[in-house]
Amino acid sequence: MPNTEALMTIGLNHYLALSAIIFTIGMIGVMMRRNVIVMLMSIELMLNAVNLTFVAFSNYNANLNGQIMVFFVMTIAAAEAGVGLAIAVMIYKKFREVNIRFFEQLRG
Amino acid sequence: MMTVTPLLFYFFAALLIFFAYKVITSPNPVHCALYLVMTMIGLAAAYFQLNAQFIAGVQLIVYAGAVMVLFVMVLMLFDLEHELTAFSKGLFSALFKIFSAAMIAGYLINTIKETSNSVNPEEAVNTLTNNASVTRELSILLYSKYLLAFEVLGVLLLVVAVGVVTVSRVRGGTHAKH
Repeated sequence: MPNTEALMTIGLNHYLALSAIIFTIGMIGVMMRRNVIVMLMSIELMLNAVNLTFVAFSNYNANLNGQIMVFFVMTIAAAEAGVGLAIAVMIYKKFREVNIRFFEQLRG
Repeated sequence: MMTVTPLLFYFFAALLIFFAYKVITSPNPVHCALYLVMTMIGLAAAYFQLNAQFIAGVQLIVYAGAVMVLFVMVLMLFDLEHELTAFSKGLFSALFKIFSAAMIAGYLINTIKETSNSVNPEEAVNTLTNNASVTRELSILLYSKYLLAFEVLGVLLLVVAVGVVTVSRVRGGTHAKH
């Protein structure tokens, strides 16, 4: 039975599928949640799914450039979380709530 | 190359999907943060399975440690009493969002299927077996080929640090009461 074979030998595709599932969950979270903090967490989820893709490709191609990219993505994610949380704190100071619908009030 | 035990992979995959699902469905943001920490730890385990030990350590320290502490600290600042509309309202828009997410998932899965023959796992060279050598090669690569990008990232972090301080010191902005 070839199906069992495909299931029982873990290859690149398994990790890619797992990464795709996590990415989609994060995407649904960004679109469905109204709390800004949880939306930022969902973005972190998506970035982590991409990191998993990088590491999987890096391992199965025996190429370390993918792992370097993971460093860069992590740095960008930390910077993005910092800025996003600062904006969320601003919104909270203004409206006493971190709902995304207050963000339209930010327009200058 | 270290072969991944299928049962271990499926165990961590199920755990990861469960935690990721709980991140976006828990009504309480603090629970979301804690589930996200668990997701990060599960991803670190996946990196271990993929022979990326250093990345796994960085994932544990930077993500599960620093970034999530940042999230939880900011959550502590907020008064989360009135978390009434955790999800966006409207059945139609919700269905539309789910549909678009499903479409993206379909594209991703199809792409994986179509390109599944492009990489042959047996061709993976055995240079990545030794853990110490992976970290060594990684550091050499980071400080030679990617040195400029590394330094630019340092500048980016500095700019972000200054920017965050600036943003948090703004008093009111365009809504300031004069």
